[in-house]
Amino acid sequence: MYDLLIIGGGPGGVAAGIYAARKKIKSVLVTDTFGGQSLVSTDIQNWVGTKSVSGFDLGKMLEDHLRAQEDMEVIDGDLVESVGDEGYKFIVKTKNGKTLESRFLFIASGSRRKKLNVPGEHELDGKGVAYCSTCDAPLFKNKVVAVVGGGNSGLEAVGDLLPYASKIYLLEYSDSVKGDPVTFERIKKSDKLAVIFNAQTSEILGDKLVKGLKYKDRQSGETKELALEGVFIEIGALPNSDFVKHLVELNKFGEIVVDHKTQKTSHPRIWAVGDVSDVLYKQNNISAGDAVKGILNIYEELGKN
Amino acid sequence: MANVTIYTTPSCVYCKMAKDFFQKNGVTYKELNVAEDEKAREEMVQKSHQLGVPVIDIDGEIFVGFDRAGLSEALKIQ
Repeated sequence: MYDLLIIGGGPGGVAAGIYAARKKIKSVLVTDTFGGQSLVSTDIQNWVGTKSVSGFDLGKMLEDHLRAQEDMEVIDGDLVESVGDEGYKFIVKTKNGKTLESRFLFIASGSRRKKLNVPGEHELDGKGVAYCSTCDAPLFKNKVVAVVGGGNSGLEAVGDLLPYASKIYLLEYSDSVKGDPVTFERIKKSDKLAVIFNAQTSEILGDKLVKGLKYKDRQSGETKELALEGVFIEIGALPNSDFVKHLVELNKFGEIVVDHKTQKTSHPRIWAVGDVSDVLYKQNNISAGDAVKGILNIYEELGKN
Repeated sequence: MANVTIYTTPSCVYCKMAKDFFQKNGVTYKELNVAEDEKAREEMVQKSHQLGVPVIDIDGEIFVGFDRAGLSEALKIQ
């Protein structure tokens, strides 16, 4: 049995692993991959101590630092599927069929892409509907595309598509862009970009491949149609908290509610950090810092028992 | 030795992860950059019936995305 089981390989999980190892807490870390959601980022310029790094390289740096710790067990290429509470220990089951036992739980499982949930989205996934602009933008060379969502990730998707697509519609649900003004100023200069505000995407059209998109103009109530071949969906994230929802308090967004001094959840043996928690700002540096807080608090608790 | 082809774009992280995985496990592969090579792009769409990268062809078996478990099985990697 472990004293601590850490879930997640982003900055939060890895920082927790490093601090737990240095405090000689008997731990295991379970993750699918290293790097968290920044993995697909081409250039991260705000990871403190590093002027510029790709998400791929950040993931490698995190993994290397973690694996350099003695007595740190790492299970990668796997995911936690269920958690049962036995009162003094947790029984954790993984996708690959492993069963692990631990006294305490540290959740840094991050969040995943939100889907539109409109007709055509699922059917045309990969057939013009895309969720990774850094990966798939070059495949839309000389094609008309739409980006749904005017937050930071939506604006960055437009930036990724500008060198390739012939025209880009940016569809935003509200009446203003929510992403950073610096990014918006930069992409707005291109005459390839057309921004459509108050647009509620209602259907993605196509048979074998995407042919168009329907949206409702929320001001006029009118339904309009765009002819295009690609739709990039960038409408935010959902916390990966399903597997512990029976054990800890969640807020209305599904985020795990924590005490921001200690990162402790409503459960006396569960801590949470990063995008899965109700932290106000979702940032790599904050996830790492909050994880340090959480581990130091766990170390204190272990000393008491 | 299996015949392995991977269709990639230069900025695609999952492509890099798949290539890393091949290198670590001593798998030789052919890489086709579909951002540049239009013939390869058509071939990829034809094989996978979709537009996302990476697409990996192992002796005719097609994988979309970096599916470590699936690739391990196809390549008999422990």
